[in-house]
Amino acid sequence: MNSMHSLSDPGNHAVVVTQVSDTQWHVVEGDRVVGRGDASLRPDGRLFISIDAWHSAAFDSIADAMLACLPAPLYTVVDEADQDTTSAWERTGFTAARREWGYLVPTDPQVTGLGSVRLPSGVTIVPAGEAEEGLLRALDRVIRDEVEAAAGWRTMPAEVLPRPAGTTLLDPSKYAVARHGDQYVGLVRVVSLTRQPRIGLIAVRGDRHRHGIARALLAHALGSLHCSGTASAWTEVDESNAAATALFEGIGARRSGSTLELVRR
Amino acid sequence: MTKTAKGIEVEGTVIECLRNANFKVELKNGHTVLAHISGKVRKNYIKILPYDRVLVELSPYDLTRGRIRYRYRV
Repeated sequence: MNSMHSLSDPGNHAVVVTQVSDTQWHVVEGDRVVGRGDASLRPDGRLFISIDAWHSAAFDSIADAMLACLPAPLYTVVDEADQDTTSAWERTGFTAARREWGYLVPTDPQVTGLGSVRLPSGVTIVPAGEAEEGLLRALDRVIRDEVEAAAGWRTMPAEVLPRPAGTTLLDPSKYAVARHGDQYVGLVRVVSLTRQPRIGLIAVRGDRHRHGIARALLAHALGSLHCSGTASAWTEVDESNAAATALFEGIGARRSGSTLELVRR
Repeated sequence: MTKTAKGIEVEGTVIECLRNANFKVELKNGHTVLAHISGKVRKNYIKILPYDRVLVELSPYDLTRGRIRYRYRV
């Protein structure tokens, strides 16, 4: 695909926008690519776009071209501290839809206070790598159905992970689970792609809420990281998720930045 | 250093996280640039931390500024 979309000259920048594939746009000034646009579908069906441009004329031109081609609603993600980029999106009609707080989570039981956590009656923790895949997938389905019926998975940062259609559980070895009798009732997923592990998901079946299972799972996950020499982990919490906010702030996690999801309807 | 249609791309290491979502990145050639995270990286919730190895696209207007296009796995 190589269709020209627009030629503009705001602020003495003569730029040409070209759609180079179904999901990609380039903006060229002279012989330089001075901006790129990209669109991708999330697993939940929402269309997210991104624009990287070296000046506002390039940003605005590529935004015009993309908005003319793509169906509403469109979503994007910005660091709330990046005021220039946030303003650029607002100029094109995007508004804030939701906010996620990033948390730096200590692992030391002396700091978190999780060293003294007792497992709820009848509950045992199955460490990561030892969970039975069938039971884990059954729990994952139950929790996803429950969340979808309430807040919806679109409020979950973990949902952006690319995965094959129909698969919701990528790597069973990353999950530690809470077991009660012959049933799995809660899970926590910790991923260590960088030096700072990320707590990607912590969830408990609805009928087992308020028994301290999430706290026990967190105590296990953070305790394991601490024993392996990792001082802190990272997680994101949707601003509206009061339970998760209380859980993490209660163990001394510190807010360290925020991400805004913007939408143009 | 690679010059492609996408611009000049250089590997580097994040040495400091600054305000306004900017990062100080030391390039392989020893130069230091001020870089921000690309929208595509941001869109995928990829977190950048000090000591991460990254691929930076340098600004064609100012070679002291750049954009982090990729974070390498440890």
